[in-house]
Amino acid sequence: MYGFEAMTFNIHGGYLEAIVRGHRSGLLTAADYNNLCQCETLEDIKMHLSATEYGPYLQNEPSPLHTTTIVEKCTLKLVDEYKQMLCQATEPLSTFLEYITYGHMIDNVVLIVTGTLHERDVQELLEKCHPLGMFDSIATLAVAQNMKELYRLVLVDTPLAPYFSECITSEDLDDMNIEIMRNTLYKAYLEDFYRFCQKLGGATAEIMSDLLAFEADRRAVNITINSIGTELTRDDRRKLYSSFGLLYPYGHEELAVSEDIDQVRAVMEKYPPYQSIFSKLSYGESQLLDKAFYEEEVKRLCLAFEQQFHYGVFFAYMRLREQEIRNLMWISECVAQNQKSRVHDSVVFIF
Amino acid sequence: MERQESSENGRESNEGISVKEENILNFLDSVDGYLILMDSLSSTLRQGWLELASARHSMGASRINSTLFDHKLHPASTTLQVNEQSAGPDRELPHFTLCKWASSNNPEKYFEEAKFGEDELLKKSNSLRHRDISHNSGNVCFPTFRFDCLGKMTRDQGFDLEALGSISMRVLKPVTNPLEMVVEISNMRASLLCAYDQVQKDMETATK
Repeated sequence: MYGFEAMTFNIHGGYLEAIVRGHRSGLLTAADYNNLCQCETLEDIKMHLSATEYGPYLQNEPSPLHTTTIVEKCTLKLVDEYKQMLCQATEPLSTFLEYITYGHMIDNVVLIVTGTLHERDVQELLEKCHPLGMFDSIATLAVAQNMKELYRLVLVDTPLAPYFSECITSEDLDDMNIEIMRNTLYKAYLEDFYRFCQKLGGATAEIMSDLLAFEADRRAVNITINSIGTELTRDDRRKLYSSFGLLYPYGHEELAVSEDIDQVRAVMEKYPPYQSIFSKLSYGESQLLDKAFYEEEVKRLCLAFEQQFHYGVFFAYMRLREQEIRNLMWISECVAQNQKSRVHDSVVFIF
Repeated sequence: MERQESSENGRESNEGISVKEENILNFLDSVDGYLILMDSLSSTLRQGWLELASARHSMGASRINSTLFDHKLHPASTTLQVNEQSAGPDRELPHFTLCKWASSNNPEKYFEEAKFGEDELLKKSNSLRHRDISHNSGNVCFPTFRFDCLGKMTRDQGFDLEALGSISMRVLKPVTNPLEMVVEISNMRASLLCAYDQVQKDMETATK
């Protein structure tokens, strides 16, 4: 139940909530996307973005422009905004904001470990890491040979340490184990974030529970579909599902034994919130499922702004910006590859 | 007698002209086939690049990037066989065949051959490496790149649990169609060059 947040929230969180709502109004609109979709070259995209909040970040970029440069600069803007909010936040908001970046930290750890396995240079790998997921000792990940060393040498001093208890083994790191490690870490992170939000209580707990439950359910579906036809056993697949969400526990039981996409659809259609997602797809199709999930996620994230005095707006804003960057990346790729007919395949409008 | 000789000469020259025309037609057919294959390959690769961008969009740039390429040498699971085929009297045509998922009883043999780096392949492009002299055929093994999220080419146990977090992985099937097309283009090019040689010989004969 809600507490008296309206009376006390603004003392510590009012300023930053106002800031994040101001940032939210800078998100690109459908009109912006229509203009961008009609661009012929990346220079045109740069010109259109110069009139938006991305302008200062792109104006000094020399020609020829690359799609990776556009994504990099847009991400830099998000990182700057995040750091400005983080340095002004007090507890528990500062911890909440840090939680938002742990997913990127996991991705960076896996990137460094995978790249090292493939004998890539550490500097090259560090350049490819997501800036939101950086931490001080990240470069030392390259020396670890197995998960125990990974934990002992590097990760024990990072926020990811508690998530490693489920996947510490002495097995050598190889591609298969790394992928399972990634998903196990992410599961532990989601559960921990969920528990933290529940402890905060009030509107934050309610809104974040819904958003994180959707994330957990989406991951369960993705894991199921991607592991169909592989040697991942049902038990191993079940272990990768989070222990919360709308699908927990009965949906997970059915997903664990699904052998094709139509069985997954049959499971998901029993849950009304996901019925609309799967109704958009024809039988046997999974390619549009990604976009359908993104659209549903954006809808839920936008709804978070309809309420005040909770931390969900910060999470929602970060996710919406990431979606916007994905949209810009896709539009840039379609323009660069002269495939403008496909530009609307993956763009998800936010407003 | 003279009339008979001249009619025989005329018949021979008619036959010679028709053979020359046939050679020219063969050459033009080869060129046409070659251009169609090149166009098809270009279209397939274009599609492939967009699918790659789509995967990067869904899974994130940190999961789809060049760090997934493995710089280690692996036994090649797809090899190219080059054989010599007879294309007429005193003529041999190289014929390329793609051998996929080839398994060897002696994996070290494959590893030995896969030690050819790309540079060495370029330097030795005109010399064929003979795996077995008795078969009198050359095998060229390409070093295999391991794609963590894109392909399953080197995973012997068939466990292709490459990426679980995003559905787009299913969109990226192992890219074998372009390889087959490249081999087809190589064969078409070989026959094109052979037809061109023939046409050139006919022209030289005609000028003499």
